[in-house]
Amino acid sequence: MVAEVTIAMAVETPSKPTIADKIYDKLFHNYVWKSVFRTGYPNTPRNQMLVIATNVFLHLHPTRIHRTHVKITHTYCLGGLSFFMFLGLTVTGILLMFYYVPSVERAYLDMQNIQTTVQFGQLMRNMHRWMAHAMVILVFLHMMRVFYTGAYKPPREFNWVVGVILLVLTFLLSFTGYLLPWDQLAFWAITVGTNIAGSAPVLGPKTRFWLLGGFEVGPDSLIRFYTLHVIGLPLLAAIFMAVHFWRIRRDGGLARPL
Amino acid sequence: MATAVVARPVARPQSRNRDEEVLVWPDLVFIEFIAAMVFTITLFALSALMNAPLLDQANADVTPNPSKAPWYLLNLQELLLHMNAGMAGVIVPTIWLVIMGAFPYFDRDHEGQGVWFGTEGAVRLTVVGSLVGFIGTWGLILWDSGKIAFFLNDWFGLSGGDTFRFLENVRSIQNQLPWPEWSRSITYLPFNLKILDQGFQHLDFPAWLVEQGIPTAVLVGLPALMIYAMWKLGWVVTRRDALIALFSGFIAAYGVLTLTGTAFRGQGQELVFPWELKVSEGIPGQE
Repeated sequence: MVAEVTIAMAVETPSKPTIADKIYDKLFHNYVWKSVFRTGYPNTPRNQMLVIATNVFLHLHPTRIHRTHVKITHTYCLGGLSFFMFLGLTVTGILLMFYYVPSVERAYLDMQNIQTTVQFGQLMRNMHRWMAHAMVILVFLHMMRVFYTGAYKPPREFNWVVGVILLVLTFLLSFTGYLLPWDQLAFWAITVGTNIAGSAPVLGPKTRFWLLGGFEVGPDSLIRFYTLHVIGLPLLAAIFMAVHFWRIRRDGGLARPL
Repeated sequence: MATAVVARPVARPQSRNRDEEVLVWPDLVFIEFIAAMVFTITLFALSALMNAPLLDQANADVTPNPSKAPWYLLNLQELLLHMNAGMAGVIVPTIWLVIMGAFPYFDRDHEGQGVWFGTEGAVRLTVVGSLVGFIGTWGLILWDSGKIAFFLNDWFGLSGGDTFRFLENVRSIQNQLPWPEWSRSITYLPFNLKILDQGFQHLDFPAWLVEQGIPTAVLVGLPALMIYAMWKLGWVVTRRDALIALFSGFIAAYGVLTLTGTAFRGQGQELVFPWELKVSEGIPGQE
């Protein structure tokens, strides 16, 4: 009897919920919301780990990492930002695809239309262009970061190789996109670029012909570059990226001193 | 027993010390979010301020001078000016990518993992390697452009006359030396090989020397010489050391080549200062 009284006195009476609490409760603790987000706002260690482990987008991460790896200067987020550029390029690229037809008759006109008549068209095109440049630079810097932190060492050998392949794919993605505006800059840059490829001994001319669909840059080149740019290479890059990210986790996360 | 362990550099699971770990939510996820936001905002701002270029419609009959590849390929276009096209455009980059891909199979040691410049002397190797790559590449570009000979004559009145004209640039070794006639067409195949063009069957030795021989010697020799010198100095001890020097030299050379191709190549791929760089639209009658 005595014990019961002590306990009853130790319990604080909850303060009366404010209006804000009630609204919060109605918004985030209802049946529908809870069916989507099971854990609520992750404010306990258990929920913080659960949200990483059970969310399809976040589960690329481990639930915990070594504290040195959250220092910005360790990675400068370069790999993550390269991937973020890839995502941004996909979004802006899809928007541009709504307006762009890869034919010699229409390509240049469509570019002009995107820039002048399409709502936010110029902005989307600019974003796509600058993000593409940013991605090339970021991927290159990421490679330097991995090298100078010795992160290619065992057991991460193969992931370095996958990274080199992704570097090449990034260059190719950017290169195939370069032709699409079908202006003088595009046309001659691709002429020079494919001439470089065509100068390879034995296989060069065949490679060039295969790339261009002819002996010089023309309608067939445009459709080939377009197809490679919007589906072929992104698909390939996505596969290699999946392997790249998967291997990071399998190989024990970021490298650290043994 | 110890050797058996060392000899097999297989994946070793790293020990986990829970005290040293932080939760990904919020510690990492928020950093990623901020980084993504910073880039999104910066790119939006950049896109609002600067328009992507759109020139006149493509026209196969009008060639701009200079015609340039996308900037990230201008390093190859720059190499192209100094050696055989197939070598510069395809063979050298392919071999380099293979070499780079093979880095982890060459350097299998765990030392220096997971920290910036984690091995002893790594910073020194990076700085010196970069300097060698930077100065070496610039020096070679300047020499091959004939500018060094020009400046020696123009500024100091030094001239080798016709005797040393062959040192002006790499091409003049082919053009200015009295090569005997036979050396320009050496039949080295005992049979008539029809797979490749006729030029393949007869070796033009001076041309081969200038376009392939010397460039190969330079591309292989200079890095090898650098690493040998560093090894003699005691700077390069491990394979990691050699790779740091090599990679740093590559980064510097790559940077110089890209920059030269982008900002220092004017009409006819002439070496000029960036402020002298003009592009002719290629319209007839217009400079």
